[in-house]
Amino acid sequence: MGSWEYVFLAYGIVWFALLLYFFLLKRRVRKVEVELSSLRSSGDYQKNA
Amino acid sequence: MEKTMRKGDRGRRIIGSLALCSILLGLYFGLIAAPPDAYQGEAQRIMYLHIPSILTAYLSFFIVFIGSCLFLWKREKRDDILAYSAAEIGVLFTGLTIIEGSIWGKPTWGVWWTWDARLTLTAILFLIFVGYLMLRSLIEDESRGAVCGAVLGIIGFLDIPLIHMSVYWWRTLHQSPSILRPDKLPWENVHPSMLIALSVNFVAFILFYFYLLSLRFRLGEMREEAKALKLYGGS
Repeated sequence: MGSWEYVFLAYGIVWFALLLYFFLLKRRVRKVEVELSSLRSSGDYQKNA
Repeated sequence: MEKTMRKGDRGRRIIGSLALCSILLGLYFGLIAAPPDAYQGEAQRIMYLHIPSILTAYLSFFIVFIGSCLFLWKREKRDDILAYSAAEIGVLFTGLTIIEGSIWGKPTWGVWWTWDARLTLTAILFLIFVGYLMLRSLIEDESRGAVCGAVLGIIGFLDIPLIHMSVYWWRTLHQSPSILRPDKLPWENVHPSMLIALSVNFVAFILFYFYLLSLRFRLGEMREEAKALKLYGGS
């Protein structure tokens, strides 16, 4: 393996892992947001009833 | 509350945009603008990732330390959420530091891994905080898990001064610091073109780190709110 191949391997792994974590975190946030809004709306419904 | 959240979202978006710009600049400086090293050749470009990622991991575990101390003192959930969030991201950056170091070590030292003091202590730091995350997810009683996590977070942070001083205290294969040296200023030891590439990448990593931390912290806060709503039925 040449020097540039090691460089690209390192840059590829780092940015792939960081972007993967970022997208998974975004997905976790969105999932909890949906759950929270449904809990809030069901709470409002109970209060109004 | 709503106003604060909107303000937080706007702040996060600004940090995210700045992080994206600095990441692109960092890639340009790290891969194109900076010259190859006289001894290490192109492989030295890995240092533009390696140094910023370990410094980001140190910062992250410092935040774990502060959050854990504050939680043990005041018992406020926000401090625990901050420590837990910082630990998760710190583990990611430490893991990446070990991988980058290993990839750099192969063409430079001729080995992927060696039981050098600094490398071993960094691996221990990684394992301590992987243990922290496992502990937090395994203990069902959340308040007990938070206290145990805070204690482990404080103990784990104490490994960082050992990692930093290991190259002075023991004969190691890992070289002594080029930037954080007590006897020389950074620009006296590193060529300005390399220092610029390193600084830009450091800023990129720090901005991206704070973007991730604020997002992870928000996730923790929303989870707590959801738990409270489930418990009290939204009343």
